[in-house]
This record gives sequence, structure tokens and C-alpha cells, in this order.
Amino acid sequence: MKPDTELIFSKKSNISSNNYIPQLDIEEVEDIDTILPKKFQRADLNLPDIPEVDIVRHYVKLSKKNYGVDTGIYPLGSCTMKYNPKINELISRLPYFSELHPLQESNKGALKLIFELSNCLSEITGMEGFTLQPAAGAHGELTGLLIMKKYFEHNKIVKKKIIVPDSAHGTNPASAKMAGFSIIELRSNESGEVPLDQLEFAMQEKDVAGIMLTNPNTLGVFDRNINEITKIVHDNGGLCYYDGANLNPMLGICRPKDMGFDIVHLNLHKTFSTPHGGGGPGSGPVGVVEKLIPYLPEPCLITDDKGINCREKSPTSIGKVRVFWGNFGVLVKAYAYILSLGAEGLKRVGQFAVLNANYLRTKLQEKYHLPYDRICQHEFVLSNKNLPNGITTEDIAKRILDYGAYAPTIYFPLIVNGAMMFEPTETESKDSLDAYVDILIRIYEEATNNPELLKSAPHNTPVGRLDAVNAARNPILHD
Amino acid sequence: MVKLDFIPHDQKTTQHMLEVIGLKSIEDLFQDIPKDLMLKRLNLRPGIPESDLLNELKDISKKSKIYNNAFLGAGCYYHYIPSLVDFIISRSEFYTSYTPYQAEASQGFLQAIYEYQTIITQLTKMDVANASMYDGSTALAEAALMATNITRKNKILMIEGIHPEYIEVVKTYCWGQNIEYDIIQLDSLDSKLDEEYAAVIIQSPNFFGEIEDLENIVNSVNKKYPKCLIIQVMTDPTCLGILTPPGELNIDIFVAEGQSFGISPSFGGPGLGILATKKEYLRKIPGRLVGKTKELNGEKEGFILTLQAREQHIRREKASSNICTNQALCSLAALVFLLCMGRAGLKNLASQNLQKANYTKKRLSKIPGYKILNSKPTYNEFLVVCPNLDLLIKYCEESNLLPPLKISKYIAHMDNIALVCITEMNSRKSIDLFLQAAKMSSSEGK
Amino acid sequence: MDYKFPKELKYTVTHEWVLLEDDIAIVGITDFAQHQLGDIVYVEMPDIGMVFERESNAGEIESVKAVGEIIMPLSGEIIETNSKVIDNPELVNSSPFEEGWIMKIKISHKDEVENLITVEEYIKVVESEEL
Repeated sequence: MKPDTELIFSKKSNISSNNYIPQLDIEEVEDIDTILPKKFQRADLNLPDIPEVDIVRHYVKLSKKNYGVDTGIYPLGSCTMKYNPKINELISRLPYFSELHPLQESNKGALKLIFELSNCLSEITGMEGFTLQPAAGAHGELTGLLIMKKYFEHNKIVKKKIIVPDSAHGTNPASAKMAGFSIIELRSNESGEVPLDQLEFAMQEKDVAGIMLTNPNTLGVFDRNINEITKIVHDNGGLCYYDGANLNPMLGICRPKDMGFDIVHLNLHKTFSTPHGGGGPGSGPVGVVEKLIPYLPEPCLITDDKGINCREKSPTSIGKVRVFWGNFGVLVKAYAYILSLGAEGLKRVGQFAVLNANYLRTKLQEKYHLPYDRICQHEFVLSNKNLPNGITTEDIAKRILDYGAYAPTIYFPLIVNGAMMFEPTETESKDSLDAYVDILIRIYEEATNNPELLKSAPHNTPVGRLDAVNAARNPILHD
Repeated sequence: MVKLDFIPHDQKTTQHMLEVIGLKSIEDLFQDIPKDLMLKRLNLRPGIPESDLLNELKDISKKSKIYNNAFLGAGCYYHYIPSLVDFIISRSEFYTSYTPYQAEASQGFLQAIYEYQTIITQLTKMDVANASMYDGSTALAEAALMATNITRKNKILMIEGIHPEYIEVVKTYCWGQNIEYDIIQLDSLDSKLDEEYAAVIIQSPNFFGEIEDLENIVNSVNKKYPKCLIIQVMTDPTCLGILTPPGELNIDIFVAEGQSFGISPSFGGPGLGILATKKEYLRKIPGRLVGKTKELNGEKEGFILTLQAREQHIRREKASSNICTNQALCSLAALVFLLCMGRAGLKNLASQNLQKANYTKKRLSKIPGYKILNSKPTYNEFLVVCPNLDLLIKYCEESNLLPPLKISKYIAHMDNIALVCITEMNSRKSIDLFLQAAKMSSSEGK
Repeated sequence: MDYKFPKELKYTVTHEWVLLEDDIAIVGITDFAQHQLGDIVYVEMPDIGMVFERESNAGEIESVKAVGEIIMPLSGEIIETNSKVIDNPELVNSSPFEEGWIMKIKISHKDEVENLITVEEYIKVVESEEL
């Protein structure tokens, strides 16, 4: 009996039966050896030759061992796994989008889409200029922080540190480091919010560039002091950066600019429904207030009294963070989403993302421990406090898989013990949420009466719990 | 009115849910938000049904032009994409999933990424490849950072011939972390290199199409400065169907733009950053890695994200990179592409690129006023002086051919020099049309 | 939680232990530290001959879920590293004070020994972190 995880390479045959590329239609071509000295040629090429039908069967089989939003509820906190509209897939594949070369002169359609999307994102966030170049959220963070760095350098002000709350996404301090800043971490208070006195104190140091925040934060909580926070930072000569990973509940409700932020990054693959792709591609546009527009990466589209211009070589720009214009194929999908929802649809997204999260929260907190017991926005975090019989958060997550559903984000944010972070999104129905609650309640009962079932979970997945330690001690990264 | 917002609640359900929560209205959900921040409304158009959306986007798209054949490369290439690629990446179990943190429910994609890592090591003969970076340019920037991390030196040396936009991206990343860089001509390498540099970066085939003699270059660097790393970058890795792989040239870090492997041009993105390296640098690799392991309490093999302690969600400010979302679906596309091609197919594809480009080069140089500028062997791109480049471009457009690149876009004062790209997709007919356009702009240009 | 605190050793607030033998210091991480890290998968050792100042980062200990820094308890030159731990990183978990030692330093500033804390002081550090 062949092992279940047979790799594609075991299907290789001795004959090459696939025929995809055009037939060579020029007889007068020269021999390879005449064109290219032998020393530049490779001696052998070890790629497998596999019949098409075997490739198809292999990946169809693999797809069935994979769980996506189209399989069922996927409540990963801070990931916004909402439904991915299929029309957007079709539109991104239209030949007049997919076959464009980034350097072709006749690109008015592409530039128009980039321009219109930038305008929509400006309206949604309140920001006055956008770059669509960054390829992912973390990339956007780096871009935004570099803009901050350039702004201060240009104004001959020395800034070396960035303030980040202890609930921040891991990418925040990592991006800050890549932009040459060091971190000051603030401890969130009992309400899960930024303590104003600590912030005041931290901003006393003259070399603090500003703060990086997400609001609502990773506890799902809207920081009620946001106006004061951004004021304190501004009053002390700093800038405010908004991590847009949690923008979904704010769509049509509230805008980062109005909260006082100067720089924003967005995650199109979260808030704007472009598919997560198993881990990418995403897109992380960055929006800025007017005074920071000179620092945007290039090329960028600028509107001035002459109309729409492509700015390409200004000395104040931070330069490029990626080649060409960005992940255009992803931008198309986000634009289509915004057009199809419109103003009212986007606002409903915000409203129902929050409704769904609070409904799930209310039902689950009957059994599980909710450390921050207040109205949440798009997500909420449970802790491991009530778990009986030494059951861990990981045990719960693995048992959820046995019921054919997906686990929440676990062990993040770090400030909650054994955190379980749930973000259902607005596209789940009440029935779907009720079914999920049933699963979580049943698992709680199992934890009480039959803990072994959880400790040895999952049982119903293609493999049981895997040995992560061995994978890290003795990494096998290819065959 | 039917709304295309995918929100499945009606009025009754909404009311019921609010009651369960203990609130009276939707507005109560936002009671934590200061009143002065609540938006009245967004100033955007109302939503539209799918049919209208499709028509509107089609109209916008048609404001650009698409061509029968392309003679333009410069970092983004037209190669054939087998239909199987889109078929597989369109399976929604793959594309609607996210990073496989719960490995047991994501064995499908994890295995696919493992297979991708494997096929890249087969193709490049490097020891280990990661699960992808955003694109070739950012992969190169991160490779430079990786080299400074490994060697604990703060300077990198770039050889001219790297794609100008890649150089710009590397500069931005270096500025972020106060890393110094120098850009020199290849013949100055011997005199300029010293022990202060963490790495030498060289593109081959380079931006001008030329294949560098990497074996000699690597040997001479290693002899004098064995601790200096060598990074090779490539913008069209289909050439690996014929060219010596980096693993056989003692390259330390290999990066490439994988768009040529089954990803449509799409106005320049998304792409695929390929990164592969030697096993001694394993723990300094940025980005995700998938490893093979066994069940804790069983015998089955499985796949899992590993060495996550390098990554941002654990190391935070000490991470080697901030990368989180990568280009997973694009790596799946590249994997399927390479499987479709197979050994014979990729060799055939690379040969055609080489032969057709050479054919075009030879005939172009026979037309008065045209002079090929490359002195070294080239793959599928070459540099040519034209008697009247603007006119050539005009005639190309009229024949519905995507014209070659004007080098003056990147390098000032190189007027009338074009970077021409020929792939297997350029039919004989299109090449003949191109040569005809070249002839016409030659005789009229005088 | 019951951690081991050998009385004959000196400690640091960053969870290293030190065994002094004249001008040589043997260094490792404590039982509390290995417990916090979880299953250790890799130890990045400094190179032999490298010289570090006290409180600088000499290397790293990686587990599945975290990374800890190895902070130099005293200034000096690295004269030996424990190759057994490179091949079997789990030794740091199972025997943090004996077989799981990490490195040996030739101390350059003997007076720095005063900065090391006693076992009683270290127990207090652990108690405050556990709160």
C-alpha cells in the first residue's frame, strides 16, 4: 500500500508526453552549441516528466486535503477570512488586464484602475495620497515606516524609536527594525487599551518617531482614548501609523484619518476580499496625509492643477519598495469588490462583521473565559483560564479540526494566556455561527468528561498531530 | 433590492442576534467609538450587480492595448502558460485557504509547497529553497540583508547589469538599515572588492541580456575573500533549461523572479520571489519553510511549517525579516508550470528562446544602421543601436507588436538603444514583421 | 512550579548560570529558562576566539515557539563551546546545568564577577517573573 503522502515526483515516467510550447517554426536557427559556449550549458536537468493526467489527479487529491473559506467557517483572528467573490477572479483574468506588460506605453486602462482604486481607498480611510506598490501588509508597514523615516530625515530631525503596544502584530516590531527603528513597548492596561500616562512618558524622549497602532486592536477592542493618543503623539512631534489589518469593522463607520493617523497600510487580501491564496499573493497599499505625499514610493500617480501625473524621480521619495506598480492582479479584485458593494455595502460590512463577532462572543463566553469582557469589534479573544483537566488551547484547536471546522488563531496576542482569537467576518450566516458554537460547546464538554479525546486530537484529519520539534531539530525541506 | 455584499442576514435574524447580545440596535455595537469619529456616510457610488460590474471593468480594461506578439521583456516576460496551471490554482480549496498554521487541516497546500521547494532545488541545484518572497526585486533586497546578517558586515557590492528597478529596491532596503552599498563595473571587481563587503551581487543573464562568466568571477572572489558571499539574481529563470545552475557555480544565495514560470504578466504583479541558498545558511533564510515530519503518535508522514522561530510572529523585532504573507499561490503556479514542462519541455523552451533571439539578432544586425551592442553571449534579450528607435516603435505599434524597451527610460543618454526580447511565443511571422518594421525605420530614418 | 536551583552556581537576571573555575567561566541557561523556551531545536554558538563584552548577545537558543538570547555574563574570550549540544539540543532541556552547558569563557575583567547574583537572589527573580 503506497504511503498517503506520495510526492508528485514518484509519478515520473520515462517519456515526455506533454506538448505545450509552440513548434519551432524557423528552420534556419543555429545549433545551440554554435550560439552558446559549452561551458555555459548545464550537463543535466533533473526535472521529472509527468503525464498531465497524473499531475491533475495528484493536485485534485491534494486540494481535497486542504481547508479553505469555500470549505467552511475560517475564523482566524486578524486575518479576515471573508468570502472571496468569484466574479473578481474572472475580472482579474480578463486579457486586457492579465496580458498587460508593466512597461508598455499604452496602459491607460491599468492606470485608470490604479487611480480610481487609490481614490476609493482615500475616501474609505480619509488619507490624501496612496501607493499601491507594496505586495503585502508587512511590506506596507515597512513602506509606511520608511516614509516616516524620510520625513524626519528631510526635516533634519533625529528619530530612532517607535512605540508599539504589547498587543501588536509580530510584523510591527519586525518592520520597525527593518526601517532602522528600535522599539518601545507599552503594556496595555486592564481594559486592553493604551495607557495614556505611559504614552506621555515615552513621548518625552525626543527621539521617538511616533506610534504604530491597530484600532480596534488585536483584542478586538476599540481604544476609546484614540483621539487623546494621537494628540499626545502629535503634540510631542511624532507621527501616527495605523496598521490596517483590523480595518474590516471600521468600513463606513470610522476612518483612520479622523482618528488622527498620518500613515495607514491596508491589507487588500483581508478587508477587500481578495483571496488569501494559501499565504499570498496579497497587497498592502499605503495611504498618507498630504504632507507626506512627497515621500511616497515611485512611480505614483499625483493629481495637481495639471491633472493626473505620473511622478517618477522626485528626490524626496523613499524610492522603490518593489518593481513596477505593485500586485496589479490583486488590485483589480479589490477594485471590483469596492464597486460591487458601494458606499452602503461597505458600511454593512463594518456593521455585520461586528454583529457576527459579538454574537459569537456572547455565546462562547457562557463556557470559555473572556478576559476583556466588553463589546468587541470584529474579533475577540478567549483565554485558557477555564479549561479543565490540563487541556491546552492547542488541544481545543486540534479537536475543532475533527468536527470539520477550522480553529481560531491561537497563542496570539501574547498578552492573553493561551489566547484563542476569533474573527468570523460578515459573510458567515447565523446558522453557520450557531453550528460553530455547538462545536465549541461540545468540545468544552469533552474537555471536562473525556479529555484524552482532545489531547490526542485531531483524529479525523489526513494526519494526526505532527511532531513540530523534530521538524525544527532536523529540518527536511525537500526530497 | 438584491445586494452584492455577501452578507446573509435579514432584518429578523439581525434583531434576534442583537437580542442575544443584549443590545437594541446596530449602532449600539459602536458605542465605544467617540461620537465625533462616527462617519455619516462614505462618498462612494452605490453598489452594482455582477453583470454591470463585469461590463464596467471590461470597458476600463479596454483603454489599454494588447498585442499579438511582444518584443519587450526587461523584467516581465511572455512565456506560454499551460492551461493546467490556472486549472489547479483555481481550485478554491487552495486559493481560499490561508497560511497553513493548522498543519493537519492543510496537508494539501503544505505538500504542494514542499514539492515547490523540492523542484526549485532540482532546477537550481542549490541546497534549500524557501516557500517564496514577494518578487525578484524584494527577494534580492532580502538576500542582501541576509548576507549582512550572516557575515556581520555592513556593506554590499553590486555589479552593473542588475535590473535598474532591482537596484532601486535594494537601495531602499539598505537605507532602511543603514547598510552601505557600491555599484561598480564588472572589470573593476578585482580592484574594488575588499574584506569590508558582505556580498557581491551579480545578475546573469543581466539586464542587457548577457550571460556572465560566473565560474571565473566566483573563483576569483573566493580566492581572495572566501568569507564574501556571492548572490546571483535572474529575471527570467527559464534560461535554467540550458544554463549552468547556480548550485554548480558555488553561488551562496540565488534569487530570481519566477513570473516566467506560469504567472501572467498582469501589469507587473503579482510575481514570485524565488530564493535558494546553501544549507549552512539555512537558519538565516527569511520567509516561510515547509518541512517533512512524522505524526507524534503514529507512523504517517506529514508536512508542517518549520523553523518558525526565525519569523516575525515569534521573533518580532529580532526576526530576520518581517515577511508574513508571501506568494503561496504563485509558487503553486510555478510548480505546476515546471511539472508541465518537465525536463524535455523546459530544455526545449529555453533552446527556442536562445535560438529565436539569436536568429533575430543576426538578421537585425544585417539591416543598415542597426548594431548589436552585446559582446558576450545572450539568452533571450539583447541590446541594439537603432537608426531611429522612435520610428521603429511606431511601426511596431502599427503592426500590433509590443515594441522593445527604450533603454533611455532607465539610463540617460542611451538614446536610440533598444532592449529586445524574443521568447518561444514570438512566431516567425511576428519576427518577420518586426524585421520589416526595422528595415522601414532604417531607410526612412536617414 | 518546581525548578532546579543549584546552590554552588552564580546567576544572571537574564537566566544564565555561571560556574567559576579561576579565570574560566562555564556558562549555560537555567532550568527556568529552558522551561520557558520549550523543546529546544537549535543552539547558535559563538565562534571560538570571539571576544564579547558583558551583557552583549553571544548566541541564540531556538525552540519551536521562541528564541532566547545567550547573554554574556562576563566579558571575555570564548575558548570552548559544547559540541554535544549542537548535535543534541534537547540536552539543554534535560540537563541544563550539566550536560547541557553552552560555552566556556576566559574572563577578562575579574571584578565583573561582583555583578553576578546569588542563588537566593535568582530565585526571587524567577518568582517575580512567574507572577
